[in-house]
Amino acid sequence: MYPSYMLFGEELRERDEKKLWFFDQMHNPEPVYPFDVIMPESWLVSLNQYTTRVWNLPTALGIEQRIINGYLYLSPNVIDDPAMVAEREPIFQERARHYFENWDDIYNNWVNKATDCIERLKGMRFVELADREPADTVYHAKGITSTFELLTSYSRLLENMHEMAYYHFEMLNLAYGAYLTFLEFCRSQFPAITDDLVARMVAGIDVILYRPDAELRRLAARAVVLGVGDAFTQDRTPDDIIANLEATAAGKEWLSDLEQVKDPWFYYSTGAGYCHANRAWIDDMRPPFAALRDYVARVGRGEDLTRPIEHLQDERARIAEGYRALLDDEQLETFDSLLALSRQVFPFVENHNFYVEHWHHSMFFNKVRELGAVLVAGGMLEQDDDIFFLHRYEVYSVLYELQVNWSLGVGVPTRGETTWRTEVERRRGIYEGLQAWSAPPALGVPPAKVTEPITVTLFGINSETIDRWLTAEYGSDSDSALNGLAASPGVGEGRARVVQAFEELDDLIDGEVLVCPLTAPSWSIVFARIAGAVSDGGGIMSHAAIVSREYGLPAVVATGVGTKQIRNGDLIRVDGDAGIVTILERAGDSASTSIVGAEAGS
Amino acid sequence: MSQVQVNDMTLASNLYVRPTVDCRPEEIGEVGGKGVGLGSLLRAGQLVPASFVVTASAYRRYLSGGSGGMTSELATAISSAYADLCEQQGTVVPVAVRSSATLEDSVDASFAGQFKTFLGARGAEQVIAEVERCWLSALDPHVGAYQREQSDGTSACDVAVVVQELVDARSAGVMFTQHPHSGDRSIIVIEASFGLGESVVAGEVVPDLFEVNKVTRQIVRRAVGSKPHEYRLHEDGDRVERRPVEDARALERSITDEQVMALSVIAIELEKALGRGLDVEWAIGTVQGVASVDSLFTLQVRPITVAARRVDSPGGTQPLTATSSISGGNVAATPDKAIDAILGRLSRYAPGEETS
Repeated sequence: MYPSYMLFGEELRERDEKKLWFFDQMHNPEPVYPFDVIMPESWLVSLNQYTTRVWNLPTALGIEQRIINGYLYLSPNVIDDPAMVAEREPIFQERARHYFENWDDIYNNWVNKATDCIERLKGMRFVELADREPADTVYHAKGITSTFELLTSYSRLLENMHEMAYYHFEMLNLAYGAYLTFLEFCRSQFPAITDDLVARMVAGIDVILYRPDAELRRLAARAVVLGVGDAFTQDRTPDDIIANLEATAAGKEWLSDLEQVKDPWFYYSTGAGYCHANRAWIDDMRPPFAALRDYVARVGRGEDLTRPIEHLQDERARIAEGYRALLDDEQLETFDSLLALSRQVFPFVENHNFYVEHWHHSMFFNKVRELGAVLVAGGMLEQDDDIFFLHRYEVYSVLYELQVNWSLGVGVPTRGETTWRTEVERRRGIYEGLQAWSAPPALGVPPAKVTEPITVTLFGINSETIDRWLTAEYGSDSDSALNGLAASPGVGEGRARVVQAFEELDDLIDGEVLVCPLTAPSWSIVFARIAGAVSDGGGIMSHAAIVSREYGLPAVVATGVGTKQIRNGDLIRVDGDAGIVTILERAGDSASTSIVGAEAGS
Repeated sequence: MSQVQVNDMTLASNLYVRPTVDCRPEEIGEVGGKGVGLGSLLRAGQLVPASFVVTASAYRRYLSGGSGGMTSELATAISSAYADLCEQQGTVVPVAVRSSATLEDSVDASFAGQFKTFLGARGAEQVIAEVERCWLSALDPHVGAYQREQSDGTSACDVAVVVQELVDARSAGVMFTQHPHSGDRSIIVIEASFGLGESVVAGEVVPDLFEVNKVTRQIVRRAVGSKPHEYRLHEDGDRVERRPVEDARALERSITDEQVMALSVIAIELEKALGRGLDVEWAIGTVQGVASVDSLFTLQVRPITVAARRVDSPGGTQPLTATSSISGGNVAATPDKAIDAILGRLSRYAPGEETS
């Protein structure tokens, strides 16, 4: 199921047992499907190459990956040898400086490269093999046949994924490094400053991560203007609504608007973008249509749904100005300079997420499904999605075998037509078993230091988180307070709704607190209805944190064990200022209240 | 909370008695640190209970007079200032009588607490007696020992005495305009308890603790303490008594969020007027005659002296002087500086992880 280099082995046992391995709950909360392993494998290469070989980051080596019972664990590596640090430093500084000094040009070019990569992906086609080779092969004297094209297309599909993985990490290390430097400077001057306040000073206002939701709001307003808002009733599926709209001219006009919006804005994953099972809006329109229904109703009530851009800009300026006023001239110069550069690099941090994880990866998984359909048609698999139970190199074997069978012509019996189908069934059983395992947030021995900027900023890994995770008890009833990172300010209280996957959001009742392994940006459409958010994973710059701040929702991330300790219906308080989640009352236990902590509310 | 106007003294200034509004930093030798602090609060436009200062010259006159040195000249000066204060307030007011050492509130006058405070004196006779007790307590050998250790020998420590109308405080406490331990300039720390602030200053209760972010103007921490007793002005108005606080109320908040925010506004105003890093005593309550509704008074201000200045800034404390502006104008951002900082940071380990 998984390549040997991603599994623990006897050769490295002694060494691996002395390291810390933390669960990458943020990107892969579920066991990794064998095909989906391409995601961690591709960043294992691209992120690490940028750290180790391209930038030569002086203090960090690559992040290692291991799969334990299907779950992805990571372990950063530090350079301890002062001579090696010194040797790398000038090379790193020279190379990284080039990027910082030319950031805007490089970023603009990055957008072109990423878009081009996506366009090429979009152009790829996987068509089932016909009984007879298409006539074009003859009349265009191609020489090669459709199976050759199938196999080369598959190679190009994998290459395209690896290519995007490079773009993913081309600028991310440095961008996080810039942000981290500003964050640490702010903390040195204002020890009590929250990560959230620093993020609000830096965060962009008009970033494309908010566009999908903004488009839904615009479409809702348009529907009301066109007089077709009534189509969005509770009992109708998206298909029903579309059918209803097609009956009128105004409805058709709205639908053509929708069609224009869908590419790219509906390539918006309901997960982090690393698992094929998290479908994008383009594949399953129930989430955007549920949001549309809500927005249409609100527009109907006279609400203005447009984002208060000016207010957000004022707030950002006010916070920065407030801190500036507290600094002496010398520190002020450093502050201004770091803030300006952080703001310059930040659009990449915010926007890459849409280009890479949403637009590209959602499309990539759909192309893999197209290939799955080819294998089903060729008799190799039962269902399109079964391809995800195979590692990508096994898929190459399957494709080759399909080619062998096809080459023999119709009616010649072949070996092993059932081999892969049997193997998929076996793995499906294993996978279900793995899903039942409760993966601990961290294993092993904490490192003396963590240096790699992405580990620190994105995953929120520092000595404090590690200690918390290693000591966290699982499923214990006694612990009523969970510590996490204060990701978005405010305090919210409500009954907990533990949601493991996007589909379960349907169960959510207005005013509940969302408790989940992680929140993806696309979940933001429920944020208007909840009192707060708690996630097991995620750092201060994780998608969940960014979007929670945008929606003014109290959020605590990186609790490690929130979904395990909190149960549906528990009354909980989310303190997004302090980073504490308190279980005030267990579900069905309204007689006893156990309020933990010396801090009292107002 | 309604604002009431409490006019400062229209007292005639003389060698022995000084109107508080005239107590300027350069006169610390005559009016002491508390006198300067009160003068600063008045000049900064804060609501301060009516007061006057008995000068260090009066103290020296008292000492030069030999034993039983409360001359009629001194007594007249004090009683006439007190009479003016009462006339202004329209009643015979209870006062707090506090020593104001001429070294106190300077760089590290940790002996400040050795000086005496008398709460609830009323009537000229009692006020004069308690001013004298302040003078006598300054002669206490313990205080003398502190003075000898602390002073450089060239400037002997004299004592002035602040006489200030006592607030019938419902709640009171201290406020630091920046975090006293971390030195974080963005955080205001407020400690509050029931009754007069003495229980907080003396550490007799676990006060309520509030922290306010100056930038966002949000209360970022609320920790309710345990306040089993309070100091309140007796209803006769001539003494302060320590009363038990019922168990349930002892664990309730002594000030509301609105009051926390009103205090924060004062902290910000004072820093603008007087410079950063202030320690402010305050009280919420009424004064005789003029203010019959609860008002927020500032009672004292001094630079924070014991801040473990973790945040890098020029060491020591700033003198309590008016500053026109806190920070300089806009400084143009130089990207090179940021790039250097980032490259430097990424070439090192994270803070606190330099050594493994």
